[in-house]
Amino acid sequence: MVKAFRPVNLDEALNIRKENRVIPIAGGTDLMVQKRRWAGLTPSFEYPLLFIGHIEELRGIRIQDDRLRIGSASSFNELLENTLTPSVLKDAISGMASYPIRNMATIGGNICNASPAGDTLPVLYSLDAVLILSSLKGERRIPIEEFIKGPGITNLKDDEILKGIEIPQYDFDLYFYKKVGIGKVTSLSKISFLGLANITDDRIKDIKVSFGAVAPSVVRSREIESRIKELDREEIVKEFNNIKEMYSELIAPIDDARSTAHYRKVISLRLLEAFLTKEVQ
Amino acid sequence: MKEISKPIRKVDDQDKIEGKVRYIADIEFEGMLFAKTLRSGRPRARIRSIEIPELPDGYFIVDANDIPGKNRVKMVINDHPFFAEGEVNYIGEPILLVVGPKKETIFEIIEKIKIRYEDLNPILTMEDAERKGKTFIDYEFTKGDPDKAFEMAEKVIEDEFRTGYQEHIYLEPQGVVGICEDGKVTIYGAMQCPYYVKGAVMEGLGWDEDRVRVVQTTTGGAFGGKEEYPSIIAGQVVVAALKTGRPVQLIFDRDEDIMVTTKRHPSVTEYRVGLDGNGRITVLDINIKLDGGAYGGLSGVVLQRALFTATGVYNIPNLRVRGSVLKTNKVPSGAFRGFGAPQAIFGIEMLMHHLAEKLGRVPLDFKMDYALKTKDTTSTGGIIRGEVKLPEIIKEVEKMSDYRRKHKESRKFRGIGLSLFLHGCGFTGKGEESIKGKVTLRKKGKDVEILTSSVEMGQGATTTLRKIVSKSLSIPITQVLYDNPDTERVPDSGPTVASRTVMIVGGLLDSAAKELRERWDEGDEIEVSKIYKHPGYIKWDDKLLKGDAYPEYSWGANVVEVEIDPITYEIEVLGIWAVYDIGVAIDERIIQGQIEGGITQGLGYATIEVMDSVDGELVQRTLTDYKIPTSMDFPKIESKLVRNPYKYGPYGAKCAGELPFVGAAPALASAVENALSVPINRIPVTPEYLLEVLSG
Repeated sequence: MVKAFRPVNLDEALNIRKENRVIPIAGGTDLMVQKRRWAGLTPSFEYPLLFIGHIEELRGIRIQDDRLRIGSASSFNELLENTLTPSVLKDAISGMASYPIRNMATIGGNICNASPAGDTLPVLYSLDAVLILSSLKGERRIPIEEFIKGPGITNLKDDEILKGIEIPQYDFDLYFYKKVGIGKVTSLSKISFLGLANITDDRIKDIKVSFGAVAPSVVRSREIESRIKELDREEIVKEFNNIKEMYSELIAPIDDARSTAHYRKVISLRLLEAFLTKEVQ
Repeated sequence: MKEISKPIRKVDDQDKIEGKVRYIADIEFEGMLFAKTLRSGRPRARIRSIEIPELPDGYFIVDANDIPGKNRVKMVINDHPFFAEGEVNYIGEPILLVVGPKKETIFEIIEKIKIRYEDLNPILTMEDAERKGKTFIDYEFTKGDPDKAFEMAEKVIEDEFRTGYQEHIYLEPQGVVGICEDGKVTIYGAMQCPYYVKGAVMEGLGWDEDRVRVVQTTTGGAFGGKEEYPSIIAGQVVVAALKTGRPVQLIFDRDEDIMVTTKRHPSVTEYRVGLDGNGRITVLDINIKLDGGAYGGLSGVVLQRALFTATGVYNIPNLRVRGSVLKTNKVPSGAFRGFGAPQAIFGIEMLMHHLAEKLGRVPLDFKMDYALKTKDTTSTGGIIRGEVKLPEIIKEVEKMSDYRRKHKESRKFRGIGLSLFLHGCGFTGKGEESIKGKVTLRKKGKDVEILTSSVEMGQGATTTLRKIVSKSLSIPITQVLYDNPDTERVPDSGPTVASRTVMIVGGLLDSAAKELRERWDEGDEIEVSKIYKHPGYIKWDDKLLKGDAYPEYSWGANVVEVEIDPITYEIEVLGIWAVYDIGVAIDERIIQGQIEGGITQGLGYATIEVMDSVDGELVQRTLTDYKIPTSMDFPKIESKLVRNPYKYGPYGAKCAGELPFVGAAPALASAVENALSVPINRIPVTPEYLLEVLSG
């Protein structure tokens, strides 16, 4: 038997979280699959489950203090249907799973599952998303790249629940997103790439580049981005080999059931090239 | 009466759409126990010991010791044990069942069982098997004088192709229930061949036929995957039922099904072509190697179809055709839609495409120079008797696809490809003659019941067979009854395989219906049976592999247009056009379903369905990693039929179930070749493979 808690509100959830070793579960679209055993048997979990998908304080998508605030238990379809959701995030989500799974799966789950192939992650990295983590002690805010430590590993403390995601409101002149999967829909990423840029007077004013599924966690480098900033179009072409070299050191893909390390590396650098030398031009 | 081809609503649609149909997993028998299989974790090993924990009351271990008869599953080569006996030969080979009332407890018992193995050297690749001479079967035949023709040839060209595994991914995984009552056993389950299951269980138990009954339950897809495999698990549950005295259910989870059931044979096809001074093909040497996996099963027959299809739609005067099924310590390969023909057609079509490119010819024109015509001899010295309507088929597909213009104007990253193909209808060689399929029609009042062992598995048999009988008897289709076959009620009409159901079984039903119509007024209850006889013209020598390998052929042409993403090398299919001669369609919409399903499955085989084996273990073991196409992956398929009635088929029908599968992969691969100007020598054509090819 699986023991489970179903708190009525966040406060009760946090109390249970503090008193017990539990596994928070929202849509369950990752956990139920990871822990499945045999049709007819409940999945086996090491600790009792804490259902949080229904908790009001974890839901809702709104603008607050000039930032977009997404409740962690917002489902992918809720995000797709909401006019406040940035279109870059919608594009990533619409390439994920199937409609019924998107009804169940939550953005908080995608973050806490911390899969290298989680498709909202490159978008959230690029948008400088900040996570709001709740515990009985209060709230703390942490940039997503500091939260995710590796495949399946996060900074979530035993008494915490991911409450929401805050995204600064950006406008971008240029936006280039590409997901490569097996087939067109319902597939996990072999590679995903997101490039965002602002260009004024032919010069790059702001740039954000993220790669998914090609390293233990999303590859984004503010250092490299700052070296690209203020370059003009010609300089980018000239500098491209150096930029590529720098990213190449961060991209460390693996061979797995879906693709090869070689393909992932070569193609993700090509996507970078397409973005910087074609899209930006 | 209206034209038979006009579509009617499939008689089983409504219940399936509404979810009313009960599949084997939905049926609960009183006192039923569950079973789970403990499997080999090693590709090849001796079993030193099996340590079983103390079993709670009501729980049982069922293994090779419990088999009263022969511990070998009757297939064609009877080598697969129901349960491993002292040694295992592939990862996933069944060793024993744990049976009991609670799944949780069964699961715990399985986790506590300890097996000690003594590992033996496994054979993990086709190359290794070939080096060591490990084959199940080898065939060779010739036509004309290939040696002399090679001597005379001006030029000799060699080429080689590879195809991968393919998994069926039928919607419903494998499942059976075995019941033992009053000295008799009954098997319920998803299957294509009730009488194969019956034969296998009789041998496993050592019982005679009146003590074994097999009932097909509504089957959620099969594609060949439920041809021979259900015989293995049926034998297992029956023995478990015998031991426990209770009904025993064995149903696979999807991942288990992917890991341990049969798959399409991976292949290597090698070609040597002799050309004369004018660049004309004078001789072909073809060698087809199939990876059979650990046990022989049906693989020899699969190889036969591959070899008899090896020259595709072409008439080549001098031939040497040979092939072998290699024995490796991997999951056994088996029946899958096309049954050896897809590997052969992929090879020959790509070879012809490569030759055309080398000779600077439009592939279609080059192919047509060699196309079979009526009265030509086949590779085995049989005669093409039916009218060959390839020119008409090609004209149609050219017009629909604008092939010629697009081929001329093809540019980097965009290309068009074409395949020509045929499929031998019904069993290979002596098959139909030795099975001697039988059907019965039983009139009861105003109703007529079809009694046949042919099953509905989503392909439409229950509708098409009813249509034939209804038309031949001139009675409404609502008066024609058909139930899932039960071997206590239906005669052995042969298995539901080889695209034979409409042409062979439907033909028998047609002639039974015509006789019944004559005798309609003889009484309220009348039974008419018919047994299959080959048309008199067919001659076949099973030893020499000479004569008519098939009674008749269906034909087709596919055109596929693609665009390749210049950055990621993903393939986007822009258009699919298909024309077929299947004689006459019994129901045009069901045929359209076969066409769209077959092509989509064929394009999946050609592009995204990657399955590798490393150290004897499959790498892609879940639907996350092994993906089949969705309706989003390919554009609408435009298809047409060219009418060409076959004298011995019901209302002129020939075969249709496998044909749409076989031409899709070479059409796609040649389109990719056309787009990238590099030779493609294997499927699936993945972006990873294209990166490799394009980087030289």
